[in-house]
Amino acid sequence: MTKADRTKRITRYAVLALGAFVALLPLVYLAANSLKTAPETVTRISPNPFAPEFWPESPQWSNFVSVWEGDQFGAYFLHSLIIGGLTLAGVLTTSVLAAYAFAKLRFPGKEGLFSLLLVSLMVPETVTLIPDFLVVKALGWVDQLAAVTVPFMAGAFSLFLLRQFFRQLPQDLMDMAQIDGCSHLGIVVRIVVPLSAAPLSTVAFLDLTSSWNALQWPLVVLQSPDWRPLSVGLARLVSGSGADLPLRMAGAAIAIVPILVVFLIAQKQITESIASYGLKT
Amino acid sequence: MKPLRAAQREALTAYSFVLPAFVIILVFGLFPVGFSLVISLFNWRIKSGTFIGLDNYLELFGSLENAFGILAGVGLLAGAAWAGKGKPLAWKIAGLALALAGGSALAESLASMAAAGDADFLRSLQVTVWFSLGTVPIQLALGLGLALLLRGKFRGRQAFRAVFVVPFVVPAVASAAVFERLFSLRPESFANQVVHAWGGPTLAWLREPKSLFSLLWNATSGGAPGSLEAYWSTWALGPSLALVCVVIYNWWVYVGYYALIFANGLGSIPPQVYEAARLDGAGPLTMLRRITLPLLSPVTYFLTLLGVIGTFKAFNSLYVLRDPVTGGATDPLSVFIFFVFFHQSRFGYAAALSMVLLALVLGLTWAQRKFGERHVFYD
Repeated sequence: MTKADRTKRITRYAVLALGAFVALLPLVYLAANSLKTAPETVTRISPNPFAPEFWPESPQWSNFVSVWEGDQFGAYFLHSLIIGGLTLAGVLTTSVLAAYAFAKLRFPGKEGLFSLLLVSLMVPETVTLIPDFLVVKALGWVDQLAAVTVPFMAGAFSLFLLRQFFRQLPQDLMDMAQIDGCSHLGIVVRIVVPLSAAPLSTVAFLDLTSSWNALQWPLVVLQSPDWRPLSVGLARLVSGSGADLPLRMAGAAIAIVPILVVFLIAQKQITESIASYGLKT
Repeated sequence: MKPLRAAQREALTAYSFVLPAFVIILVFGLFPVGFSLVISLFNWRIKSGTFIGLDNYLELFGSLENAFGILAGVGLLAGAAWAGKGKPLAWKIAGLALALAGGSALAESLASMAAAGDADFLRSLQVTVWFSLGTVPIQLALGLGLALLLRGKFRGRQAFRAVFVVPFVVPAVASAAVFERLFSLRPESFANQVVHAWGGPTLAWLREPKSLFSLLWNATSGGAPGSLEAYWSTWALGPSLALVCVVIYNWWVYVGYYALIFANGLGSIPPQVYEAARLDGAGPLTMLRRITLPLLSPVTYFLTLLGVIGTFKAFNSLYVLRDPVTGGATDPLSVFIFFVFFHQSRFGYAAALSMVLLALVLGLTWAQRKFGERHVFYD
């Protein structure tokens, strides 16, 4: 290796490491401060994560207990899981069926219908917020589980992504299944879904995180705490003045950890999908 | 009953497959656009009130002349852009004249709208513009820089890619909750400790509605209240320090994400192109300017469109980072409209505002697409 190559390599690693440091610093701060005592956040401080003062003297796990029980984060967590699970089941079902029809079946009005659905991607949430609230109110869904699940049980982006993939599946496979007497529903269940693990998990991650992170809509349609999700609980904790820094950070950690765990498990595939589709809700 | 033909059966199956998704998207995604337009014509406060025609829009713009002035200004500027492109000199001069006329019509109308119409709406529009300008170009530049370093195969590449995208993946409400504390006004906050280490004063950060330039150079706004000068000097003062904090948060979220997408684009440039350029004696800077940037332009275009439209949609982080004390210094249109609807319960007026937002978003998308057709290189 020449000297120039070595310098280049060292510079590359140094800059990338700096980037990684900046990306992780706020999360390290979150971890450190979620375990401090309230006085420690004033007396025991340092902007440098390599200094001992950045960290608590001894970790206060009781902060998490206090948020989980005292601030109801345990209940909110459960709500978010239920909302996310139902939404996901719904959106996967409707999107797989519709994407299969748009990719593989012939029917009058196909192109027009598909473009119409894609138009919904251009409309900002701010525009749909008020009329959607009135619709949900008319349906009697305010404060109900249906209000935060049903409207998200279909999505044009998921549908679009799946259609792109289904189109590449070999037609022969489906023709053969049809000759054997398989219905279209049978083809979807037995052939299309098993062959689509990668795009399905991408869509699942996307829809699950957007349900988990949703804030504006649940703020509007859930006024009682009955189904209050974690995102709303956390936003309320943060904008109120009652909670001290460690409790806020413990609350934020509870919201982050599940997403981070899923990300770590499927890290390779998720980075790959983000890099190629730009996944954005 | 006659048995259905195969084609009819297939179509029937297809419709039944599409139906559930179609109904949900229609009811909650498409129908609301028309419904919102209807709501905007009513004095609707929680319950539907009386039909008031365009009064909500009149309240927003202050007067019919202002609304027409703004439309004419935008139209003239669009005409100028069209006339100035690749046509003979005479056209270009005409284009320049159009641009001047459009610009001054727009400047006059906006100033008079600030005086007679909804000044808060204009302030949040200003926040949106600063927010776009502060985030998108920097994210593009830093993202591209990191992407260039992610090029090729080397040990730890996937680990870096994964770490860079973590800020984008974690819930915005939670990461914003962290930044809300990092940029707290307390002397022991992270941002203040860093500034103290450099010998600086304690700052109020997210609670500071004063503009960046007024803090740095003691600049002040001028002009008589309601005058053209008074309105435009609010622009000249730059974004508030609070908004700068929000912008920094966005860099943190998006730089790695941009880097990943850019790196993907870089990966699809065939190495032979660089090989050929090297043989022709091109240096690294020439290759960046003549090969990398042009071949990456579809990615850059995609990210710019996404970023600018994103500033009109952003909500979660801004809701957490905002401090009511700043009087909306960090509220872009999306957040401002939300509060008109949710806290003031002015459904009709908020719907009118959201229609203007929709027009802005569609107009920008269209303009960027027009621009893209001309400047983006697709192979």
